[in-house]
Amino acid sequence: MGATVREKGYTHWDGTLVERRFPWWPITRTGILLAFRKKRFKLVFAAAFVPAFIFLVGIYISERLEDFERFLQGSDRFLNIGPKYFSTYFTNDSLLFLIVLVLAYGAGGLIADDLKHSSLQLYFARPLVKRDYLIGKMSVIAFFVLILTALPGLVLVAFKLVFAGSFKFFLQYPWLPLAIVGYAALLTVFFAFYVLLLSSVSKNARYVMVMIFGVYIFSNVLFGILRGIFKTPYMALFSVPANLQQAGAFLFGQKLPHAVPAVWSFAVLAGLCLLAAAVLDRKIRGVEVIR
Amino acid sequence: MTAVIAAFHLSKWYGNVLGLNDVSLDIEEGVTGLLGPNGAGKSTFMKLITGQMKPALGTVTVRGRKTWNDPSVFREIGYCPEQDVFYEDVTGWEFLTGLLGFYGYARPAIEERAARALDIVDLTEVKDRLIRGYSRGMRQRIKFAQAIAHDPEILILDEPLSGLDPLGKRKLIRLIKGLRDQGRTILVSSHVLPEIEALTSRIVLIHQGKILAQGDIPYVRELIEAHPHQISVRSSDPRALAARFVGDVSIQKMTFGPDGRTLVVETHRRDDFFGRLTGVVLEAGIEVDEISSPDDNLKSVFEYLVGK
Repeated sequence: MGATVREKGYTHWDGTLVERRFPWWPITRTGILLAFRKKRFKLVFAAAFVPAFIFLVGIYISERLEDFERFLQGSDRFLNIGPKYFSTYFTNDSLLFLIVLVLAYGAGGLIADDLKHSSLQLYFARPLVKRDYLIGKMSVIAFFVLILTALPGLVLVAFKLVFAGSFKFFLQYPWLPLAIVGYAALLTVFFAFYVLLLSSVSKNARYVMVMIFGVYIFSNVLFGILRGIFKTPYMALFSVPANLQQAGAFLFGQKLPHAVPAVWSFAVLAGLCLLAAAVLDRKIRGVEVIR
Repeated sequence: MTAVIAAFHLSKWYGNVLGLNDVSLDIEEGVTGLLGPNGAGKSTFMKLITGQMKPALGTVTVRGRKTWNDPSVFREIGYCPEQDVFYEDVTGWEFLTGLLGFYGYARPAIEERAARALDIVDLTEVKDRLIRGYSRGMRQRIKFAQAIAHDPEILILDEPLSGLDPLGKRKLIRLIKGLRDQGRTILVSSHVLPEIEALTSRIVLIHQGKILAQGDIPYVRELIEAHPHQISVRSSDPRALAARFVGDVSIQKMTFGPDGRTLVVETHRRDDFFGRLTGVVLEAGIEVDEISSPDDNLKSVFEYLVGK
């Protein structure tokens, strides 16, 4: 045991206190730190880079077609590197599913754990407002989503230029990096609201994890059922992945997967974000307990 | 002396439930004890002071500034909540440095402050252990450490002594007194009178969301003395015992308990009664199994005060 309290004093700190420019950063830092404490999360996070690796190999092979002719056996039509290739990377089911998986494991407890441990009262007894709190939590999600989308997307473009040894690709599609950043931003904003909304409705992080999966998958199943009944592509608007794929195809200038104007999908995604914002606004102050 | 914390006609409802009712109160430098039974409104009052709740009516100010929606006030306030408010999977060190990050200190200052706070509460040796592995007393101490780590002028401590062993209590009481001597303003809540008495003579009695009394402990004790005390005596012959006290003018009321062995006495002069009881028991040879004061708990005292 250390020295007794009697022998200790308490001295004033003489340093200069600065206004923190990013008061939400400690929340983000803790959120990321806690996610990487989970073994299962680390595995899922590593697995989420598999699509990027496969597409990177595809880009490499596309520049060395003659070397791989024997293996490709006519499949080289898939290796036509252009906006469609990138659109396929960003909107394929497996990448979106892996993002959901990463967020379910790594971000499900972002608010749920605070509600469970009543940590909000510690946060809000500090120089921090609700906006800072939410930005801090959203930044955790942004970190994961951007690292799985914008980062590999831009790296793929860079490697395409490196493997090709020229800037021809960039000059041909100068808007492509913007489309990558734009779609990554859209995914970030949507998933930030989606995950935080579900994380705020329960104190149990495991239950939230199931909900993050459940709502995502169930919405797609519902789309399938309703399309079978009503025979209209507009039922795609009920599906979270379908709306994200519609928006992605639009941003990359590709044919839309469903015969529904992309603006409808943007409206649905924006509506869900607004709903989440309204719920979060209520829930974050809704922790008052009678004592 | 000027008020550091001032509440003016402060009220708070939880839906239809009244949490705090028209409280006007000035809290000055030094230690003030907020005393009341569970559910009295102590935590509600503290959460209003720390800006975690918006008052339904009235205002609360800290050094003249309203606390609601002004996070900059919290640089001056250290808050120790009653509940456990931790992520279990962080270490004590990470917990403290993470929270200190909100105040805008550079990393070396954060580490220096966290180390000092841990040292003060004697948790340096276990700072790298996950909070999940902390004992009840350690949890209380790390909670206290986060309240003092940023060196606040005002400390709001919600039941800080609950869950501590006698030694831990003594240490914390000494530490709070040390902070008081440095001129800080400290508001401590408790539902245990002796705990508050050990810390300060200035107390505020709160019950059902209202301030019942405020002042020095002798004044409050006097207030309590004005109401009869209940004393329960379990003996072999309660009726014989009662017969001895019938003529005693200090006795207001006597009843018998349902077990037939208990005499319940109400008196204004408790000490006199105990003095006489010893003599009576010895004279009459009545065996006494147990003497207790059912209304020694604070809630009963408060119910007297509100006239229930």
